[in-house]
Amino acid sequence: MTAVIGMTWKELLRKKVLLMTVLMTVLFLIVFWFIARTIGASEMMNSSPSAQLVEQFAQGAALLTLGFFFGSFILAFLVIFSSFSAISGEAETGIMQSMLTRPIPRWKWYLGRWLGYALFGILYALILYISIVVIADIHANVPKDIWVHIQSYLLFALTVPVLVTLSLLGSTSFSAIGNGVFMTMLYGAGWLGGMVEKVTSSMQMDPEVLKTLYNITGLISLIMPVDAIQRKMLALLLGLQDLAGMLDMSGSITAGFGLGQIPSASFIVYAVIYTLILLAWGTRRFYKKDF
Amino acid sequence: MTTAAIDIQNLTKEYSNGKGCRNVTITIGEGEAFGFLGPNGAGKSTLVKMLVGLIMPTNGEARLFGDPIGSVAARKHIGYLPELYRYQEWLTGKEVIELHGRLCGMAKEEAHARIPMLLDRVGLGSRGKDRVKHYSKGMQQRLGLACALVNDPPILFLDEPSSALDPVGRMDVRRLLQELKQEGKTIFLNSHLLEEVETICDRIALLNNGVILRHGQVHEVLYAQTRWRFKIGGFTPEILPWLVETSGIPLQLSIPDAAHTDTESYSAEPSLDTVWLEAIIDNEEQVGFITTLIVNQGMTLYQVQPVRERLEEWFMEAVSGLSHRGEHE
Repeated sequence: MTAVIGMTWKELLRKKVLLMTVLMTVLFLIVFWFIARTIGASEMMNSSPSAQLVEQFAQGAALLTLGFFFGSFILAFLVIFSSFSAISGEAETGIMQSMLTRPIPRWKWYLGRWLGYALFGILYALILYISIVVIADIHANVPKDIWVHIQSYLLFALTVPVLVTLSLLGSTSFSAIGNGVFMTMLYGAGWLGGMVEKVTSSMQMDPEVLKTLYNITGLISLIMPVDAIQRKMLALLLGLQDLAGMLDMSGSITAGFGLGQIPSASFIVYAVIYTLILLAWGTRRFYKKDF
Repeated sequence: MTTAAIDIQNLTKEYSNGKGCRNVTITIGEGEAFGFLGPNGAGKSTLVKMLVGLIMPTNGEARLFGDPIGSVAARKHIGYLPELYRYQEWLTGKEVIELHGRLCGMAKEEAHARIPMLLDRVGLGSRGKDRVKHYSKGMQQRLGLACALVNDPPILFLDEPSSALDPVGRMDVRRLLQELKQEGKTIFLNSHLLEEVETICDRIALLNNGVILRHGQVHEVLYAQTRWRFKIGGFTPEILPWLVETSGIPLQLSIPDAAHTDTESYSAEPSLDTVWLEAIIDNEEQVGFITTLIVNQGMTLYQVQPVRERLEEWFMEAVSGLSHRGEHE
């Protein structure tokens, strides 16, 4: 299996998708640096020390929300566009036909590919996470609790195996292009569901309408849990559940990137189980697939 | 009793569109070279893909040195060159071979030690350090052969191994296959190049519409009966029925065609009473008898020659008049 993981890493390091991701990341971090500096340099509106403390925290929270909003896009771009053609694309080009006749069980091949993409994405997520937090910390106040950061990072990185699993499963059924479209639309639907939740949570709406909307967005989150995991991660990082009602970020520049409904811990357990089930399903489909 | 290298029993793969192959039964001994022929869409590649574990059979079974096809143990015995394939463009030729070696369970050092020999053997030499994206189709085909040989497998499945090669490349591949055969490898060769099959294979089978139409030893198929030609001067048409009746052999006037033409003989200045007669004759005694009859009748016998039947003719004769699902369907 190590040979398959190694091959996947070589593929990732040599294909253009990584180069594009790195360029996007560098560009994003430069822009983020200037935004952070601008926000950090703004004068405090309150004079009392406690209010200033809250304001500093709000600045840091706004920066982290903004940073991870775009950071998650970059991470998803890398994961989806590096793995969407892993099975069907290689079968279409004929790469798979010579590899699968080698004496390695198919499940090992599938898991090797999965691990290759997932480990690479998790490592990239670590680089992104540290970069965003460090830049935000230089210009504003961010939480310093290392345990909170470990938990937040693990949640940020959890989106990688979820996306890889969905992408590989899709690749066992759809053509390379079809799976690329499928994954982009699925990710887009998840993001849209999250946005609807964020917007509606800060609006006065008919409870019946809200209930229907939450049902729809909840269903989307069950299929594509990435955005919900992201919200949970930010809530944990910023300690928003502990500060419920104490902090109003509606006037902040990141109001549009707010958190909306914060998923429970059970949802994270669901996301992990959901990923494992899809991984097992993908492995079975790959095992039975004719090439 | 020795175990057959490839033992196929009623192997069937049925697709909803009616394609695939049905009830294929073949046993191939160790060290044998087996040619698998058939028109486009006959189901040849489907059968090979089942044998190498890429496709699951609908019915029947097959074993490679006793191990069921598709199992890891069976795949340890094989090297496979697919018909339509590409290798990872982002890797170098050496890295592709190394990857195949590692997948075969070879240590990195062991794979590295074999790579230069394999590159030389398939004619890639120093180009092994180049990325595959810079390879021509022919070079990729050579790389495919090197990958198939990386674990020194006892069985080789080769699907159109020289289809993308120029004439020099084809000769190289043919020479390599002959060497491999001499080394005792069992070769299962799918090829449209009938001359290649004829040169290398001991036995052949012809698949049409998914079923085995004919099979046998190459020398039996090609030389069981030999066509003989007689160039005669002083011929009159009335003599032919007499010759047929007396010899009991269905001699007939020969009409030169592209496949049979001996350019030198047929381009010789013809005269009105000089003709070619031909017949399928089982043994040389019959040839001697006919020549005696011809000479005794006062005709001049210029030439007597056996005409070797080519596999192409055998193939055309076998499939002529039969419907076959071609690529146009």
